[in-house]
Amino acid sequence: MDRPLPEGVRDLLFADTAAFRRMETALQATWSAWGYREIHLPTFEYADTLATDVGSEMDAELYRFFDRQGRTLALRPDMTIPTARVVGTRLYDQPMPLRLAYTGSVFRYEPPRAGRQHEFGQAGVELIGAGGTVADAEVVALAAAALQAVGLPEFGITLGHVGFFRGLLAGLALPERLTARLQEAVARKAEAELVRLLADAPALPPVARQAVLALPRLTGSAAVLRDAEAVCLNATMMNALADLRSMAALLDAYGVSDFVTYDLAEVRDLGYYTGITFEGFAPGLGFGLISGGRYDDLIGHFGPPCPAVGWALTLDRLLLAREMQGIVEPEPRADVLLAAEPPAGAAGYQDGAVGAASGTGGRCQACLGWAAVARGRGLKVEIDPLGLSPEALWQAARARGIPRAAYFAGTDGKATITVRAHCGAVSADWRSIAADDWEEMDRWQNR
Amino acid sequence: MAEPLTVALPKGRLTDDALVFLARAGYAVPTNGDGGRKLVLDGADGRLRYIFVKPSDVPVFVEYGAADVGVAGLDVLRESARDVYEPLQLPFGYCRLVVAALPRGISGSAGGIAGGKGDHPDRPLRLERSPRVATKFPRLTEAFFRKRGIAAELIVMSGSVELAPLVGLADFIVDLVQTGTTLRENGLVELRTILESQAELIANRASYRLKAAEVRELIDALAGAVAVGDKKLRIEDGGNDVRR
Repeated sequence: MDRPLPEGVRDLLFADTAAFRRMETALQATWSAWGYREIHLPTFEYADTLATDVGSEMDAELYRFFDRQGRTLALRPDMTIPTARVVGTRLYDQPMPLRLAYTGSVFRYEPPRAGRQHEFGQAGVELIGAGGTVADAEVVALAAAALQAVGLPEFGITLGHVGFFRGLLAGLALPERLTARLQEAVARKAEAELVRLLADAPALPPVARQAVLALPRLTGSAAVLRDAEAVCLNATMMNALADLRSMAALLDAYGVSDFVTYDLAEVRDLGYYTGITFEGFAPGLGFGLISGGRYDDLIGHFGPPCPAVGWALTLDRLLLAREMQGIVEPEPRADVLLAAEPPAGAAGYQDGAVGAASGTGGRCQACLGWAAVARGRGLKVEIDPLGLSPEALWQAARARGIPRAAYFAGTDGKATITVRAHCGAVSADWRSIAADDWEEMDRWQNR
Repeated sequence: MAEPLTVALPKGRLTDDALVFLARAGYAVPTNGDGGRKLVLDGADGRLRYIFVKPSDVPVFVEYGAADVGVAGLDVLRESARDVYEPLQLPFGYCRLVVAALPRGISGSAGGIAGGKGDHPDRPLRLERSPRVATKFPRLTEAFFRKRGIAAELIVMSGSVELAPLVGLADFIVDLVQTGTTLRENGLVELRTILESQAELIANRASYRLKAAEVRELIDALAGAVAVGDKKLRIEDGGNDVRR
């Protein structure tokens, strides 16, 4: 039967789901060690809530639908806005700062790119109720720690500050149209275009001209912070630089400065962020993996104004980035496929014939107690429900990547396990061991 | 030595100029001796790896990071609307994306666009009647007409766009023009310029950061080569910019 999936969604099968779970577990361990507490957010809310000030771009990407009263709902396009709503409406009078974290699916109508479908997995943190570079640096350092914790060997984080470019725009005081063109050119790093733009603004003083032309080069190591001093036109630009210098020292103390570069010409989401911004990249991925920054104006839309800084990463991209660097999640499977020997005089093996499971159900009882103990010790045990013969059981184990097939026989005290193992490329023969030889059984785990 | 940067070059009219400028910028470029069959070629100095792709695919290769940098015409760059950096304009590949039509339907009124269908020369076509427009650039064409409040019916083609008005397939075409000869030979008249295009150096956003030193070196070297070329052209042309 033809049952196509709608555009933009995907199923994750076993290894991918295991990888997702592993990444989420590593992220949760990391942020909880830093004092962040996880919250669970609704998948959909009123569209008005989610569209608050997110700009026309994200507005166009919302999945909208109606409730029974005809009110417009939308699937969450990110987690930051619902988090801001929770803080603004419910947590505003709690002791600050709040350290919040989340993980879950978000939904956007955007062309699938680099592992990101319309639905994709996001995880992130928000540090709320604390302004200043100490909070900023904590969040950036936590981003680096999170990427390390999920086992991504190589990545880089580029740090910027919207104050630098905003200050520059204020200092230039260009006509609105020219300002828009300038921002566009800077966003695309279009160096030649800047030169042409300046030709349209002949009245600009030389220092301002120089500041514009210097922009594309103010990206790289912490040395660019020094270079940038020479082109500061006003206090806004100076303050942005001072913030970044302070961040550089803090990130050094955090031991993550090797991952960090700077970009003073980063102008993405200029209307959304209010201070530092950053974006993380991994080799070969081509797209941003993690992004964040300070957004002191958002929570004020839902309650008392409150400074905030945070980041979100795309789990689907993290998975891709890990694979590109050679980290492959093993296919999850049991350690042993277990069956019970048929009692003497019984009809024998059914080899999966219809009704086999019910017909041989009784035989299994003896081994269930053993399986419970083994599972308690961490062994992953699958029990054969089909009444397979030894050869068929062995083939079934091989076909499913389970390294051992085993038969349980006997009763308490004198029970034995007859096991056949496949290790590396070698298959051993059947051999019997005492069912209480847990030392041996413990070796079956984690090969 | 660091990994070479991968540069995506468009197969076709921009290839030779792109290689000339890369050579002038001091990079070893592949020679033509291979018959153009190989898709991936390493520069002899190990600094660049070249891939040759369909021009309209260059922005895709670069956006995804399959190539760190690339050379693409502004026309395909804007049409693809890919998220890449555009650090440098290169002085070749000049062309215009224009709206053209058969002259028969052009009204005398100032500024009004109208075209003639070859098979209905007498019927005046009003703009609001959803003109049919044949093009290889649907995104730019759609944006151009939409901005003017016209719901154009796009006919997306992959070649011989000029033919469309001649056989009554379309009222207008939106196509690239270098000299205008092809349009004139087919009796078509240019009505509007949508975009002035030239070659651009583009860069992947992640490579721009993660391979910052190599990408910056390439931008600066190419910018140097462009500046030298500019000076030479101006001298040869007695101070006039021959590119126009």
